[in-house]
Amino acid sequence: MSFDERFDVIVIGAGHAGCEAASAAARLGAETGLITLNLDLVGQMSCNPAIGGIAKGHLVREIDALGGIMGRVIDRTGIQFRLLNRSRGPAVQSPRAQADRMRYRAEMRRTLEATSNLHLRQGKVVDFVLDRGRIAGVVLEDGRQFGAHAVVVATGTFLNGLIHTGRRTYSGGRAGEPAAIELSETLKRLGFPVGRLKTGTPPRLDGRTIDWSAFEPQPGDPVPVPFSFATDTLEQKQIHCHIGYTTAQVHDAIRQNIAESPLYSGKIRGVGPRYCPSIEDKVVKFSDKSRHQLFLEPEGHDTNEVYLNGFSTSLPAELQQDLVRMIPGLEEAKIIRPGYAIEYDFVDPRELGPDLQTARVPGLFHAGQINGTTGYEEAACQGLLAGINAALYTQQRESLRLRREESYIGVLVEDLIKQGVDEPYRIFTSRAEYRLALRYDNADERLERYGRELGLVGDSDWERFNSRQARLAKLRTALDEIRLRRSDARHAAVSALIGADLGDSISLAQLAKRPKITADLIMSLLPSELKPVTESDLNSVLADSLYAGYLESQKATIARLYQHDALRIPRGMAFNGISGLSNEIVERLDRAQPQTFGEARRLPGLTPGALSTLLVYLSAQQKSA
Amino acid sequence: MSTIVALSTPRGRGALAVIRLSGPEAIAIAHQMGGLEEVDPRRAILTHLKRPSDNEILDQVLLTCFPSPHSLTGEDVVEISCHGSPAVVRNIIDTTLELGAVLAGPGEFTRRALANGKINLAQGEAIRDLIAAQTDAAVQQASRQLNGELSNALAPFKEKLVEVIVVLESAVEFVEEDIPAVKADEIERELAEVGAGIAKLSASYSAGRLLQEGIRVAITGRPNVGKSSLFNSLVERERAIVTEIPGTTRDTLTETIDLEGIPVILTDTAGLRETTERIETLGIERTRRAMGDSDLVLVVLDGSSEPGPADQDLLDQTSGSRRLIVLNKSDLPSFNGAACCGELEAINVSARTGEGLPSLRTAILATSNSKGMEDGSLLITNARHYDLLCGAQREIEVAQNALRDRHSEELVLAPLHNALRLLGQITGETTTEDILSEIFATFCIGK
Repeated sequence: MSFDERFDVIVIGAGHAGCEAASAAARLGAETGLITLNLDLVGQMSCNPAIGGIAKGHLVREIDALGGIMGRVIDRTGIQFRLLNRSRGPAVQSPRAQADRMRYRAEMRRTLEATSNLHLRQGKVVDFVLDRGRIAGVVLEDGRQFGAHAVVVATGTFLNGLIHTGRRTYSGGRAGEPAAIELSETLKRLGFPVGRLKTGTPPRLDGRTIDWSAFEPQPGDPVPVPFSFATDTLEQKQIHCHIGYTTAQVHDAIRQNIAESPLYSGKIRGVGPRYCPSIEDKVVKFSDKSRHQLFLEPEGHDTNEVYLNGFSTSLPAELQQDLVRMIPGLEEAKIIRPGYAIEYDFVDPRELGPDLQTARVPGLFHAGQINGTTGYEEAACQGLLAGINAALYTQQRESLRLRREESYIGVLVEDLIKQGVDEPYRIFTSRAEYRLALRYDNADERLERYGRELGLVGDSDWERFNSRQARLAKLRTALDEIRLRRSDARHAAVSALIGADLGDSISLAQLAKRPKITADLIMSLLPSELKPVTESDLNSVLADSLYAGYLESQKATIARLYQHDALRIPRGMAFNGISGLSNEIVERLDRAQPQTFGEARRLPGLTPGALSTLLVYLSAQQKSA
Repeated sequence: MSTIVALSTPRGRGALAVIRLSGPEAIAIAHQMGGLEEVDPRRAILTHLKRPSDNEILDQVLLTCFPSPHSLTGEDVVEISCHGSPAVVRNIIDTTLELGAVLAGPGEFTRRALANGKINLAQGEAIRDLIAAQTDAAVQQASRQLNGELSNALAPFKEKLVEVIVVLESAVEFVEEDIPAVKADEIERELAEVGAGIAKLSASYSAGRLLQEGIRVAITGRPNVGKSSLFNSLVERERAIVTEIPGTTRDTLTETIDLEGIPVILTDTAGLRETTERIETLGIERTRRAMGDSDLVLVVLDGSSEPGPADQDLLDQTSGSRRLIVLNKSDLPSFNGAACCGELEAINVSARTGEGLPSLRTAILATSNSKGMEDGSLLITNARHYDLLCGAQREIEVAQNALRDRHSEELVLAPLHNALRLLGQITGETTTEDILSEIFATFCIGK
């Protein structure tokens, strides 16, 4: 076959999934082509200008530990950093940052262009080239054909995208950009089950027309926590966001015009995310709430644009302008870009293996919103995994699989490929059974060695990782060995503080688990020869000991209850041959093709009765085998 | 899949015995033995069964075929009602084995019924309990569980638990959102309620177990004080051989009686005396073992004669056990109720006339905790359920402590999720999706 250019790996789409995929594949030594519709919009944030948040921040840390780029790029371009859930335990704390949208894009493109083996190409992919059922390349709209042994599809909302504002609809991948219609047809032709999802975005305002004094300022953390383990200092000048509220008047006006909303007029059929509802949804579904919270998020240092977070809407543009002006402080506000809803195609992620490769077409990988997820971080981590595995596939190396016990990425991937999606999938800490073990601060301990073994973690990062692990080990030993004794003058003071006697002697590690004992207090009890100890090192060590007991008892419970989880289900098992399973259950099992009883157990809709039937059948089969 | 065979009625001699076959060859085997061409499904037919190898007629039987899937196990099933002679039963089963059947393992019929979706796990457990049930009250409890009453009883607690989890999870996951703050005292109250509810259910296990397993009572005493007579009058029929000759009862004899719904497993033991006779010695050894195994020992003394050193020995030996002292032969003129035991309290009875037996029965029941049975509430009879409930109860306590110590939500949540997992083993699992759905239905979340 003659190709205009040949690559090892081609990545379609240069959003958050595509950028990670291309960067990882190239750095693993694969000649990588990154094809995007518009080279000026590489790493574009289509929705809010922010990275991280609870569980999402964990994902970014994990991406960083594996050698991905999102954490470094946001650290260089973030304009407000906050560690969320500071008042709670370390397992549920997570970093979040506002990004300078344009600088993020520029920094992402700079990072990619500085990567050897990585080749940016502008164009629109309309078809695949297959060779005996395997992927062999792509066909562009302009007629060019590129060859590749592996292709990662990371097309976001562009697959057959349809934009709605009011009664108006038009084809598009993002406002002002064309949709990828042909590629969607190609996927359908290959037999991929394609569904429809929906998401939305709020209007952007001109900052000069906002009465800022009407809003409550929300500053960043005085000592910002960065995303990347490699970041020591932040470069960007930091800014405030602002918090405000809608009013009953706004709600009434929305309700009066609800027929104008494509969500309620029946025009939109795709399912939207429940945790990212439009203002129409909020007003209708929670009609007893007298106000809804809004965040004014500046889009960057070089622009007046302000993102009106919390006001996602697909109402007609002129009505959006009226509604915005009813909000206290926005009486004079002018909309720069109206909000809109977008419907797009996704491919059932149950088509994928744990390496994100499709079973249908060897060499074809899917990452990001095409798999039914929502969020930049969810997209990026899939891009990273797909990019790594695409490169490994072309190099005939064993694929990287992450387990749900060790990472949020593992949780996300397993949920997707085993359970599929009914609505856009967002990560939550409660999706992780071992939430207490998966902390943002120990992502390096959990995953950095994988990144190193693959070849994505460079020497200086590896050295930094090892020296941190050595420091933590030393500190851990010290906290176990150093004891606060009654003879120590501070013993009485600490006893008084917690309102209980500490006993004759207590190790600092034990003391740290008592209520009211802060990390600062432990820090003050450390002998000076151990110092300096950084706050983050101490927090990591204390978190390990805080959770150890809980994790053990949880592991014991799970081991006992789910002792049959390892029971293997033979490949290609005929579930319809097990009498007593309803058609619906058989269909669920057939689609998910669980390989173990544990995987079957986690499938939605499997009743205890169905599970016990399956369990008995499997154990009977094993016995007779 | 093999074809299994088993005797479905109790072993031993009786008017009838039922043999069951289940599996792909069941009907073919029945055809061969019955010399039949075709049998209507689910219609009993009278036929002679033969051994095909020598055409020997084994018995005249009633034979019913239940083709799959409309059968007990979901497989082809054949039921053979034959005459209840152990030899007939053995011959029929042996012949089915010759024709390719294999002996069923314990519980294998139920297991196949489970595998074929004829019953679910909880029902399977309830069926096992039903089969093992020895009194009406135990049957009632087992059939209540068969009808899902335990899951129903747990449902409100599980719901409350999910409610608490939803509030705590929302606080953890959606810190940026405008949702009401967690009210710790409210959650403490709800957890206390859930904990108490589960504790009440699990506490019913001692009564439930009593129903399922009964009270084991050993009747013991010096030879010829009337142990076997007492045994017979409690059992209300002639089961033990009673003679004037001391040492007549050589082996232990066991019968189950129903005292107000609770099965009482009575064991008549050989009289305890020094003996040189070998068989009797063996009997006495068994007696000591029965005494050790029992929940309650009835020490029977002869109230009509002076107590001897042997009686005193027995009283000494049993002083550490839970026991009742029974003075028998109260119908005799020479009976002296105050004669024997000094300080010790005794129950005067006459095994011969039945005098005093009602108070003895009451006393036997009073030694066991049957609390919870009077009001007809649901009782936990299954050890696995008990274990799971206790586990859930412990996890809720851990959560309560974490809450009291003002630990962060994730530390309260970890044991609560454990508790939910444990309850899920009885009622069905609660998935993350279920909890997330609940969160989004409760709070307006999302920017």
